[in-house]
Amino acid sequence: MIDKKVLENEIKEIISDVSGFDLEEIKPETNLTNELEIDSIKAIEITVAIEKKYKISVRDEDVPKIVTLTDAVELVYGMLNQKGN
Amino acid sequence: MKMSSNEYDAVIIGAGIGGLVCGCYLAKAGMKVLIAEQHNKPGGYCTSFKRGNFTFDAAAHSFGGMRFGPLGKIFNDLKINERINIYQCDPSDIIITPDLQVSFNSDINNTIKNFQEAFPNENYNIERFFNFLINLEQNISISFRKNNFTKILDSFFSSYKIKSALSFPVFGNSGLPPSKLSAFFGLKLFKEFLLDGGYYPDGGMQTLANILAEIFKENGGKLFLSSKVKKIISDGKNVLGIKLSDNEQYFSKYVISNCDMRQTYLKLLGKEFIDKAFLNTISKMIPSLSVFIVYIGLKEPIYNNYFKPGSNIWYLLDYNLDNSYFNSKNGFFNDINNLMMHISPDRKSVTFFINAPYKNKMYWNDNKKEVLNLFINKIQNIPIDNIIDNIEFKEAATPYTLFRYTSNYKGASFGWAGIPSQLVLPGFIKNRFINGLFMTGHWTTHGFGIPGVTYIGYETARRIINNFKR
Repeated sequence: MIDKKVLENEIKEIISDVSGFDLEEIKPETNLTNELEIDSIKAIEITVAIEKKYKISVRDEDVPKIVTLTDAVELVYGMLNQKGN
Repeated sequence: MKMSSNEYDAVIIGAGIGGLVCGCYLAKAGMKVLIAEQHNKPGGYCTSFKRGNFTFDAAAHSFGGMRFGPLGKIFNDLKINERINIYQCDPSDIIITPDLQVSFNSDINNTIKNFQEAFPNENYNIERFFNFLINLEQNISISFRKNNFTKILDSFFSSYKIKSALSFPVFGNSGLPPSKLSAFFGLKLFKEFLLDGGYYPDGGMQTLANILAEIFKENGGKLFLSSKVKKIISDGKNVLGIKLSDNEQYFSKYVISNCDMRQTYLKLLGKEFIDKAFLNTISKMIPSLSVFIVYIGLKEPIYNNYFKPGSNIWYLLDYNLDNSYFNSKNGFFNDINNLMMHISPDRKSVTFFINAPYKNKMYWNDNKKEVLNLFINKIQNIPIDNIIDNIEFKEAATPYTLFRYTSNYKGASFGWAGIPSQLVLPGFIKNRFINGLFMTGHWTTHGFGIPGVTYIGYETARRIINNFKR
């Protein structure tokens, strides 16, 4: 079972890579669209990077629900848990 | 603390448009910056060369995206428009097939009308497609990430002819047929290059590179031409600087490579310093196709009322683009009948572009002349004045020529191939294992051509300036 904190750090790295903002600037509740300038195109990049890394397939309708880092972590954590079962 | 003459805040390898734009922003932010370029002029693929009385644009021949996308903002930031006149050629692109001809105009409403006249049965679909593109940012969907461009076209059109006509310029600007090109790349390219294409700086493409180099120098930047970088100096954790081929060393906190990705890591940095997972990623990446370019200098300038100089003229003689791609990828030049022609704005020269595989140095040494003559023969069938009897000068650039002048891996025209599986380039601007090493240019981005590399030059600079100010 993956540790939530580890997952958070890994997803934070992906968001940092795509957005160009440093790790320290990305807080769990930072708004990805407004504060990190993540537009629809960067959102696709983040989604694909997450799918590749965790070998999961995010449902299209779940992507707009991701507003913060915490939302992304919860979504991936949930999917990995399901996968594990 | 005063820096010695061999010390810089940042060194940029390569004066392509991405490197120059990045350098301009860093220098404007007050950093001490050096750009080292192997060629004797700045520009990368955006250079021009002279032969006798003729000036040819070497590879990049026009660009798009001034109205849509970030290019306008960047040109404003750098005050480029105050120094050179950039005009839009109208029509920017003309597609000619065995049974019809259709143009892309500066006014999108005219483009829509042109297509509706050429394809009356697709009247409503054409309107729907262009409106979708105009509002692309709102319409782009996460569901496109696994799709190819064919899937998008299929959702709008039924006739294969219009689908091919709309995709051939996209093929020419990406090196991929719609069945292989990522939907996302295809749409972006279409919007930037075709809805708003045909921009050209007075004086030729080299002018754009020269102006950027001038702005860079006016802001305190140092540009070394004919200076090939041999090594990125690193202690395994941080970059320390670069070494030129004359063994002169320059030290800096940041090294930004505007050179090809494989060469940057495998040759300049050294395999021993690369994270294994990253090495694995870049080893599996597929580059875009290269291109074979024919340059023709004319005895008499072309005054053809039909084709305006500066337009990209796409000869789509074979509607089957998968077939066309297969022939290009394998170098079956006899069977290639689709090509792009460009009459220079001064009307004195014509260039032809044909997607082509890299092959190798020996192959092109042996076959360059033959392939050039083969295409000159094919050009005879093109109904525009009489080019053949009007040739004063002919020359070709092979994929190996492109490699030789720019060091682009396999002479790739557009960095990595825009296939759906290469939609995401993780950590390509800044890796996670060597501090201070950044990349810019078409090997780090999805945007093709001048708008793509201009944006990525800006984006890379933004990241470095943020980090530098800390």
